[in-house]
Amino acid sequence: MGKNVLLVDDSSTMRKIIGRSLRQAGLDFDNIFEAGDGLEALEMLEKEDVDIVLSDINMPNMDGISFLREKSTRDGIKDIPVLMISTETGDDIIGEAKSLGAIGAIKKPFTPDKVNEVLGPLL
Amino acid sequence: MNVGQAIIDGTKEIFSTMLMLELEVMDVIEGRGGDIPANITSMIGLGKDIRGMLAVHCPADVAMDITGTFLGMDVEEIDEDVKDAIGEIANMVAGSLKISFADDGKDIELAIPTTIIGKSFKTSGISGAHRVVVQFKMNNSLFMIELKYIVSKSE
Repeated sequence: MGKNVLLVDDSSTMRKIIGRSLRQAGLDFDNIFEAGDGLEALEMLEKEDVDIVLSDINMPNMDGISFLREKSTRDGIKDIPVLMISTETGDDIIGEAKSLGAIGAIKKPFTPDKVNEVLGPLL
Repeated sequence: MNVGQAIIDGTKEIFSTMLMLELEVMDVIEGRGGDIPANITSMIGLGKDIRGMLAVHCPADVAMDITGTFLGMDVEEIDEDVKDAIGEIANMVAGSLKISFADDGKDIELAIPTTIIGKSFKTSGISGAHRVVVQFKMNNSLFMIELKYIVSKSE
């Protein structure tokens, strides 16, 4: 596929599960980068070649909404697409995420098929 | 709203979807009682219209079983992976309850999970809180999910 993905979640277990789900869904990325919160994600985006970001919302230090807001102000990374993957899937918070540039959302818990259904067409 | 049923539905969906495991509900208790011995507890604070705490209490064998199934590997001790995995279960159950309460017109803010290891501790919550405990059976062992809450918004 020749693409790189960044997984942003404060749970290392969840990052591993998402990574495994991507492989099970047949979405074979060249590199799967990981970050534990929005701050780490911004650092990663500044130094690595990332094609798409899958981000949680409820995280310490910098949550997913603040991450989107800060990312949108940085010219070099603001156009990298972000898909939210979270227990927080209410219309208000997803609406806010989309207003800040998120391209969609996957609700936890999820199956590899669901990941493929949402993410596949975006690649 | 049937809070016990909301806990059951959310928890069973999480285990069947993410762990490919079907849980058996052993008991639903409102008020005092229903405690089972636990070695690891992950708690998540709830705020806004519903204030309180959701906790997942697990014996060591269940916690390691859940983590091993999550990660696809054998887990033989309570380590950071186990704490993280049980915290994520608490996070997803709380997220499911947030959706159920939203359908009932109540908004919940979720905190970040906190995990405690140890057999002997007590938690103190808000005075007069409702308490609902659901005991689940997984691979012949029990674990429980406890919700203590008060409704800030008029019911």
